[in-house]
Amino acid sequence: MKTFQEITHHLLEYWMHYGCIIQQPYDIEVGAGTMHPETFFRVLGSQPYKVAYVQPSRRPADGRYGENPNRVYRHYQLQVILKPSPDDVQDIYLESLRKLGIPLEQHDLRFEEDNWEAPTLGAWGIGWQVLLDGMEITQFTYFQQTGGLDLMPISVELTYGLERIATFLADKESVFDLPWNRELTYGQVKQREEYEFSKYSFEVADIGMLFELFDLYEKESLRCLEEDCVLPAYDYCLKCSHTFNLLDSRGAISVTQRVGIIGRVRSLALKIAKQYVQKQEEKEEQISV
Amino acid sequence: MSKSKKKKKNKFLFELGLEEIPADMISPALRQMCQGFEKRLEEACIDHGSIRPFASPRRLAFLVEDLLDHQPEREEVVLGPSQSVAYDEQKKPTRAVEGFARKGGVAVADLELVETPKGNYVAYRKKIPGKSLSEVLQEVLPQVLTSIYWPKNMYWRESRFRFIRPLRWCLALLNDEVLPFEFEGLKAGNTTRGHRLLGEPEIKVLRVDDYLDQLRQNYVLADIEERRAKIAAEMKEVTPKGLHISSDPHLLETVVHLNEYPTVICGSFSEGFLKLPQEVLTTVMRHHQKYFSVVNEAEEIQSYFLTVINTSGDPEGKIQKGHEKVLRARLEDSAFFWKADRKKRLEERVEDLDLILFQEKLGTYRAKTERLRTFCSGLSEDPHLDTAALLCKTDLTSDMVREFSGLQGVMGGLYAREDGYPEEVWKAIYEHYQPVSLEDASPSTPLGALLSIADKLDTVVGCFAIDIVPTGSSDPFALRRQAQGLVKVLLDHQLDYSLSHLVELAQKNFPAETKDKKVSEQVLNFLKGRVRYIFQEKGIPYDVLNAVLAVEIRGVYDAYQRAQSLAGIRTDKDFEALAIAYKRTKNILSKQSIELSAVSQENLIDPEERALFRAYTDIKPKVDNNLETGDYVAALKQIAGLRKTVDQFFDKVLVMTKEEKLRQNRLRLLHDISQLFLRIADISEIVQEENQG
Repeated sequence: MKTFQEITHHLLEYWMHYGCIIQQPYDIEVGAGTMHPETFFRVLGSQPYKVAYVQPSRRPADGRYGENPNRVYRHYQLQVILKPSPDDVQDIYLESLRKLGIPLEQHDLRFEEDNWEAPTLGAWGIGWQVLLDGMEITQFTYFQQTGGLDLMPISVELTYGLERIATFLADKESVFDLPWNRELTYGQVKQREEYEFSKYSFEVADIGMLFELFDLYEKESLRCLEEDCVLPAYDYCLKCSHTFNLLDSRGAISVTQRVGIIGRVRSLALKIAKQYVQKQEEKEEQISV
Repeated sequence: MSKSKKKKKNKFLFELGLEEIPADMISPALRQMCQGFEKRLEEACIDHGSIRPFASPRRLAFLVEDLLDHQPEREEVVLGPSQSVAYDEQKKPTRAVEGFARKGGVAVADLELVETPKGNYVAYRKKIPGKSLSEVLQEVLPQVLTSIYWPKNMYWRESRFRFIRPLRWCLALLNDEVLPFEFEGLKAGNTTRGHRLLGEPEIKVLRVDDYLDQLRQNYVLADIEERRAKIAAEMKEVTPKGLHISSDPHLLETVVHLNEYPTVICGSFSEGFLKLPQEVLTTVMRHHQKYFSVVNEAEEIQSYFLTVINTSGDPEGKIQKGHEKVLRARLEDSAFFWKADRKKRLEERVEDLDLILFQEKLGTYRAKTERLRTFCSGLSEDPHLDTAALLCKTDLTSDMVREFSGLQGVMGGLYAREDGYPEEVWKAIYEHYQPVSLEDASPSTPLGALLSIADKLDTVVGCFAIDIVPTGSSDPFALRRQAQGLVKVLLDHQLDYSLSHLVELAQKNFPAETKDKKVSEQVLNFLKGRVRYIFQEKGIPYDVLNAVLAVEIRGVYDAYQRAQSLAGIRTDKDFEALAIAYKRTKNILSKQSIELSAVSQENLIDPEERALFRAYTDIKPKVDNNLETGDYVAALKQIAGLRKTVDQFFDKVLVMTKEEKLRQNRLRLLHDISQLFLRIADISEIVQEENQG
């Protein structure tokens, strides 16, 4: 039986051999692998790119104090971006599952319509959720827009839910029973983290401070943009996004405020994307001159 | 060429291969493709046999037989110079016409004169040979494919071409030969692809006739009906004895299009979950997993489910185990919600509605609740209705509805029942979102109907007040659906509230600044539009609709009865003639000012006008009585009976006589008669049969 870390390792290896850059997780709290700059920025503009990385993804509202067998505060996504999208991308993807030792021929595999959208990033795409015996194991998306900008060439994004694939392979009922390696389970590694971060997000987080932080991060992000520091501006945009998620799980955001705050994060993301592309094009022009 | 010689039997097979198309979009796209193809064949004058459509998640295809070889030859008239330029005064051909003949390769003697609106021109007839079938197909196919409408398109390659999902292959065989054809970077060939996991990745189709069999051998059932039959047969086979699946045509349609090689398996879950409400179990299975619920003869849910898998079988039961595991996790979540939610009674949740926004400018659900209560109190004093209005939105604060938003209302009803509220209350809550579409049932109880009307109208009026008005492309609050639901409830429950009264009642509950007079007019027009739509859906002809809606809508149900009565009598000869006469009358009346007062009998001098007056006074009380009792058919029949007298009146009597007194009197008589049926409809809108399109 493959352990959690072996699955991660084999998938990264597969994509490394395919020709992807293997990146590391981003060191700022994010809710999904899509928010990693290696996706957000790389899908913009015309430069081809192939990248794979694991991204621990924090979703404060999904925390269950380590008690729910399927939901966690922080889960692990393995994210692959292929730009432009290859014609045989579905086959390449299926091959990665075979490499994990899943005898696909003996299972029920389906691509079911599921169009992905991230309103805070002004991003959306068209695609499917990949279901294996009824379990969603991957989100498969052809990116159409990011930061409110039309994309061309089109990137394909594969987001593997590592816990899902591992529970499938290990035939376990609970993620906490997954073998992380030969000695420790996922639960042994993660339970305390799950408990404390759940407690923090639902009960402890200082609402006043978070609102202040949100304002500060937003201001700093805008200031960065004025100084032409687009990537740092994005860091602060991510911080805004996570701060918003914390406030949300804390129940501190009324529905009225909600729309407004999502709008503020989104507006940062749109500005950042626009400025990034502008600078990129200027640079490309200089090189070609 | 004789016709029989042309009739060679050509076969054409076309398959467009794509990445998985969303299941619900396959049927409409396939229909458009086949109809579009047929239409264009007909435009190109290519005779053909019937078109057989095929489709699976990864392909749209069709087969046509008995195709004509060629387009028939046609004739074109080539115009030359005008007659005056072509021939001189001696009627001899000029150089201009000689040149024209030479260029066209015809003798001057063979030219003819053709009449055109601009005068006579010299011309010759040119035979244009028809294009070959192959040419026509190459021309027509791209047009057909690009004109398929998809609800949500995508880009996937640099060419700025959008389609539902990426195109991956194209097979086009004309009598077993590849049709030279290219579409968006795909070159047509003779290969297709089998099932993703069980079939060959590339299958050469050498004979059109082998297509279906070859695919079947590769685990693709491209014939939709074959898949449907396989699913139906296997469902019977695997359902445990004595039980059956709960009928779900929409889900069935989805799974037919979700699988290339459908196989049905039966799984089970722990009986402990049967303590959950049936609605919850069904929702979890249906919406998230696309499973069919299994019920006994009393339609009670059992601890089994059927799922349609995309493969040839599950000999070791691995797939079944996988599905059961996923379902178990989902059911555990729901069981947790069901338990946790019931710890707090619905009335304790009313305050929590302060935290949930209905719409930024329209306030929270708490505010909406209060509006609903006021509105309902204007319709009925039943205290149960007030309780239902108070509690109907509280389930929005429950975990279950947060997870399964489709269960809103239903959960409120179930929780109210658990809280011990009487049936009138919990059923009204349970059903108040109904009907969610025109196919959906209206609430079954009177209070449910009132609450449903209140909820929908509040949304419509509120949104219009803050200028959220549906446009062609956007209707974020689904106001059209809401308004249609409202009209449907009024009809189904035969309620005769006047629309303007309802709108006024709903508008009262909003803050003063939203109570613009224009808003109520806008809403009324919008509702009228929906009434029109629903009546049309119910088969009321458009001119009858125009006639009925041209007069005030007192109640929707009343309007429907009027429309039906009118639709029933409109082809009656007397009635038709009367409608024509009325059109004349309306015309006359619209141009004249009439001083309204009773018709004076003394001033009726011609026998025909006296006869008409007599006939009118004779039927008036009867019509009044009919209208009183809502018997519109009888009323219209009475009025139609006036036909002869009316005709004679118009034949013999000069309405627009110069004598003011007489003229006014005649106009009054016509006006009074118009008033008879204007309470039913403005029959001048009725279009005579032969004029109908």
